[in-house]
Amino acid sequence: MNYTTIPTTCAYCGCGCEILFEVLDGELVGTIPSKANPINHGSLCIKGWTAHEFVVSEKRLKSPLIRKNGEFKEATWDEALNLVSSTLKEIKETSGPDSLACLSSAKCTNEENYLMQKVMRAVVGTNNVDHCARL
Amino acid sequence: MLEESSFEPKIIAFCCNWCSYAGADLAGGMRLKYSSTIRPIRVMCSGRISPHFIIKAFQEGADGVLVTGCHIGDCHYMKGNYITAKRVAILRELFNFIGISPERLRLEWVAASEGDKFARVADEFTEKIKTLGPSSIKNISFNK
Amino acid sequence: MEALKNEVETLLREGTISAFLGMKLIKGQSIPFLFTHPDDLEQLTIGEARYPLAKIILKVAHKYPDHHLGIMVRGCDEKALIELYRNKQLDRCKLVPMGVACSGELAEKCNCSKPYPSQFIVGEAREISFDRAILEKIESLPLDERFGYWINQLGKCIKCYGCRNICPVCFCEVCTLEDAPLIPLGKIPPEVPAFHLSRAFHMAGRCIDCGLCEEGCPVDIPLRTLYRKVREIVQELFDYLPGEDKEVVAPLQILGDGSFEITEGNP
Repeated sequence: MNYTTIPTTCAYCGCGCEILFEVLDGELVGTIPSKANPINHGSLCIKGWTAHEFVVSEKRLKSPLIRKNGEFKEATWDEALNLVSSTLKEIKETSGPDSLACLSSAKCTNEENYLMQKVMRAVVGTNNVDHCARL
Repeated sequence: MLEESSFEPKIIAFCCNWCSYAGADLAGGMRLKYSSTIRPIRVMCSGRISPHFIIKAFQEGADGVLVTGCHIGDCHYMKGNYITAKRVAILRELFNFIGISPERLRLEWVAASEGDKFARVADEFTEKIKTLGPSSIKNISFNK
Repeated sequence: MEALKNEVETLLREGTISAFLGMKLIKGQSIPFLFTHPDDLEQLTIGEARYPLAKIILKVAHKYPDHHLGIMVRGCDEKALIELYRNKQLDRCKLVPMGVACSGELAEKCNCSKPYPSQFIVGEAREISFDRAILEKIESLPLDERFGYWINQLGKCIKCYGCRNICPVCFCEVCTLEDAPLIPLGKIPPEVPAFHLSRAFHMAGRCIDCGLCEEGCPVDIPLRTLYRKVREIVQELFDYLPGEDKEVVAPLQILGDGSFEITEGNP
């Protein structure tokens, strides 16, 4: 039997409210706003209150999916990455690098987002980098 | 003068199947004329009327809500109307505090044989709502 | 503080309780934590920040219904626990509350009517005079001004559900505020005043006036004022005040005996 709260920062937007993740027996079960932080003073928005849900959601993908004949089929990482890189290369050659853009996510780590924009800028060669929280 | 008579209130009347809806039906059977502002909603018992129905009715634009049920002791389900009285009492005070006139919510016990009472209450309530004017919830700009 | 640590340590070592829900001091911040081992008690603290420990113990107690658990209780936590016992959400026999009386600053900040539980081992009892000024000011306004005031306040709402999420006596698994026909899903801001009136009605017979809702509201809606009025309404009509340790049922928990009738204002 083990319950603890872990102070962390909400990933969703640039505000950076401090939240306490509730962990019961190693499972993430809830979120409470931290009262000690001068940014949010113990309040959260609806996204903050449900910040634990996406971590443990049933809806998360367990493997890459590729659309074949109009339906999503499970694929391996190699298959998926090969398809993505060959298609992006093709589009870059025919329509130029600025015809490509990327949309990243608040639910990724800062490191993952850094890699994403690095791939777009250095490898693809475009500045079209955007993020879900901006919408 | 013209403006006064042009306000036709919308009144939702929750009626319990066994007593008050039968009473309303009898009013019709007796060919009694009563105000056409009343929109009846039949429920099996007045105890079925969640306070949230009443709140929703006002939110959706009702100018008044009439809650009718069996007389105390005569409820078809024994005690359904006991809780109706408690709920309506709390709601009236709550509305008063929020700034909605508590007279917009009325509780009346109407038996199946009291067709004339139903018609009389409907007319009285309509007059009261006419004097109170349209409900101010309809004009809240945030909700649009 | 030492008294609390010693008491908890004794209970843990003796096996009277399997675990103790209290506050842990970590990097200068006090956060809720379940102490299972006497060695962890080094970091046990009381802290000045209030968290709804009664709500947290619900999660643990539901998963481990056969274990005895200790919990740190302030005046408000005790009232919350009494209401949870009354609603059969917690088993009184399985909980060992350790009372803590709130400090003067915290009691003043919370405007609490009783900042100490019935039994406590830390702190001293203080009486704070109940400040009814805001309620009186609102009641003195004419009806349409009162309406204007409330619509302006409630119109700030961003539907974060913070008031409901933090409330220690809100335990329902299926919440009316997420019921689509009543409260349209995904519609932000919520419909005013239906959303707040629905919540206020739910607080009738349940609200213990802990003030966590208003503290947690990001837009400073005077929720506590609204629910304090609901408490007064229920007290006046049914002579019932939530949080009192009496063997009675809340007025809306039962249908009743038919003796309650609306008398005035209903011709």
